[in-house]
Amino acid sequence: MPDNFERAAPTTESVCPECLARIPAARVVRDGDVYLEKTCPQHGDFRTIIWRGADSFKTWVKLKTPSFPKNPFTEVKDGCPFDCGLCAEHRQHTCSVLLEVTQRCDLHCPVCFADSGNDDSADWSMTEVEDWFKRLSEQSTSFNIQISGGEPCVRDDLPEIIRLGRSYGFKYFQLNTNGLRLARDPAYLAELKAAGLSTVFLQFDGTRDEIYKTIRGRGLLDQKLKTIEHCKEQGIGVVLVPTLIPNVNADDIGNIIRLALEHMPIVRGVHFQPISYFGRYPQSPADEARITIPEVIREIETQTDGMIRADVFCPPGCENALCSFHGNFVLMPNGDLKAITQHKEDACGCQPIIAEEGAARTRAFVAENWSAPTLITQLPVFGGQSLGEWDVFLERKRTHSFFVSGMAFQDAWNLDLERLRDCCIHIASRDGRLVPFCAYNLTDSSGRSLYRNAESKRFASRFSILQNQEILESNGE
Amino acid sequence: MTETKPVICYKCQKELVPTKTYLSYLGHSFSADILKCPECGEVYIPEELAKSRIAEVEMQLEDK
Repeated sequence: MPDNFERAAPTTESVCPECLARIPAARVVRDGDVYLEKTCPQHGDFRTIIWRGADSFKTWVKLKTPSFPKNPFTEVKDGCPFDCGLCAEHRQHTCSVLLEVTQRCDLHCPVCFADSGNDDSADWSMTEVEDWFKRLSEQSTSFNIQISGGEPCVRDDLPEIIRLGRSYGFKYFQLNTNGLRLARDPAYLAELKAAGLSTVFLQFDGTRDEIYKTIRGRGLLDQKLKTIEHCKEQGIGVVLVPTLIPNVNADDIGNIIRLALEHMPIVRGVHFQPISYFGRYPQSPADEARITIPEVIREIETQTDGMIRADVFCPPGCENALCSFHGNFVLMPNGDLKAITQHKEDACGCQPIIAEEGAARTRAFVAENWSAPTLITQLPVFGGQSLGEWDVFLERKRTHSFFVSGMAFQDAWNLDLERLRDCCIHIASRDGRLVPFCAYNLTDSSGRSLYRNAESKRFASRFSILQNQEILESNGE
Repeated sequence: MTETKPVICYKCQKELVPTKTYLSYLGHSFSADILKCPECGEVYIPEELAKSRIAEVEMQLEDK
């Protein structure tokens, strides 16, 4: 099977972090690590670490046949990433749709995708929410819905939003939250449960308060644990979501996994998000300020003392292989954490899978494995002959499955447009587009974004035209 | 369903007896009491078992 260097051209495309012009880029090995290198005719050279360990990069492959949108919302005009909506050249269907129902937040973190604040004028009206549910349902009701923000729990009417979504046929609702309100207001959580909330996707950066003080500005561990407790009372599945930052919490990976295991089965797994740099950065973020997917995987093995081995983690079947990793497990009654995934470097991906089918499988996996586990009393009862210990495994798979996964978002420095075109997590914008997550959050080094708000949209249309002209001129065309 | 009639090995003409047997699939191995010929070791998997639990094992181990 061709490895990542043989399969893909060594070149891809990216953007200039200064002006966001689309420019050629190359994946280059230096001293055993892989870098994205690019040059803007106006702003010079950029080099950013993307994968520490060139050997593992070669075999981290999952070949897919692209599935283009059946009904693209935007036309191809300026090319990727300026036509997002989705356009007809996007290579993967939607798996999850994020609805950022507010831009308000009750934390003010230095680390925030959404650049959230206090402005309640940025809340979506119920009409806007309904318009999106209607629009999406005309495409498919199989999308997983992520209620996000800002901090969505600042809205009292979230239960109504979930009920509305259910009325349009959507079945899986995930709440992306810092958990503060859920910790102090269990009645609100009960309302969300009654409305049909499936999963609390809980910002959870570590097992020590110093970590929260550094990242979020104050100690929050007690509130996080209280939220888990309340979810347990309500029977709502919890996914712990640490933003991983070198020298802040990358040494806490093993402790986070152990804490998650202690709170099984209501905690369904841990989803690591290595930090990416959105917002204003006068200087390029240093490579030392980044942690890449293979490092996270190695740290998982090291920090769990080998309880979870690195070779159980696989590239994804939905998004681009370089965007994420996952390992699935079953906690057996004797405490043994049994891995049910295995990365076979020479065997997986010999035949490309159809991207659309990968998206469908991922939607189904998330809906089943990120929601609260099946109660033993609700398990189907097989008649007839027992299958001995396999029966125990089957029961535990339903009641005590666990996952560890991670997704590496892209910013202006490490953006690879090949990866962006394979994205399956799409943000619903107020102007009616479905925008791939990393395009929606993309900002130049001055903090200006392509899609996040109306001012940015004007900026996007203006600069894409200007910059394309400049590139053409610099190429002598 | 009750499997009361004895099952006889076609080759050895011996009655199969429930025997602790390790069944492996995709690198996972668990034991179960399976009808086995005491002479040649051939095992018998009833159709009902193949269509229920064994099919379920395959499905659970082959997902994403």
